[in-house]
Amino acid sequence: MNKQNKAYSIKNDTIVINRELTKLDLFVKDFLDILKRHSDYLVVSGFVSISTGRTRGTEDVDILVGKLNKTKFALLLEDLFKNEFWCYQGDTINEIWKYIENKNNIMFAKEGEIFPNIEFISVDESKPAKYFEFTHPQKIKIQDFEFKIPPIEFEILYKEIILAGKKDIEDAQHLRTFFSDIIKRERFKEYGLIIKRN
Amino acid sequence: MKLKQIPKTDLDYIEFYAKKLRENPEFFKQQKELIESQLSSSSDLTKKRFSKKNFKTEARVHLKEIGVFS
Repeated sequence: MNKQNKAYSIKNDTIVINRELTKLDLFVKDFLDILKRHSDYLVVSGFVSISTGRTRGTEDVDILVGKLNKTKFALLLEDLFKNEFWCYQGDTINEIWKYIENKNNIMFAKEGEIFPNIEFISVDESKPAKYFEFTHPQKIKIQDFEFKIPPIEFEILYKEIILAGKKDIEDAQHLRTFFSDIIKRERFKEYGLIIKRN
Repeated sequence: MKLKQIPKTDLDYIEFYAKKLRENPEFFKQQKELIESQLSSSSDLTKKRFSKKNFKTEARVHLKEIGVFS
């Protein structure tokens, strides 16, 4: 698929979405431009379907982040604060690190705002399904904003099997229909086994 | 695009819309308006609710009250 009047095309294994950037995209882009300097990442959940046209709102953008030690996390935090992000859970490394140590997610927003926020989710091998998607990303691009999401088939199954709320089933339906031309059936079987082991 | 079936459920409408969007990226414009309208409303509410001077303190109290974090 590579037609100018279609909503997306595939170029060099990257899904290219044919639309303008929104303010939500720019918020996520600003955050990822900083995060990428310090860690690998994967954008998951609501923003995946919204970035591909699902018409609903979201207040948070979930991002999986590779596990960082305290020193490296402190550098990331300094970079985020310097670039006008603030953390809901605190202003210092010691306050915030307690949440990471206890495997709780932390949230960031732009200074003076509370929404939208980034929900920062640490991931490692102890969470097999999350770790699988983290290590098998799909690239997606909107204008000059390129970022990583799970394989579409994985995202669909995760929403249908693990999350399974009304909103998640609807997101999955959107993805199934929107990407029906490129979805690979054999991947559903492979990913289904991984997700069910979660 | 001819309708083979009239959408009845929410899922039917989602499927209908996704098919239309796939063939016509002009529909992304509606989505952009919705998202930016939501962000604008949220930002206005935030500015009215919390003072500039004590923003983080007040916001954290509110976020804990609504269970965003503990």
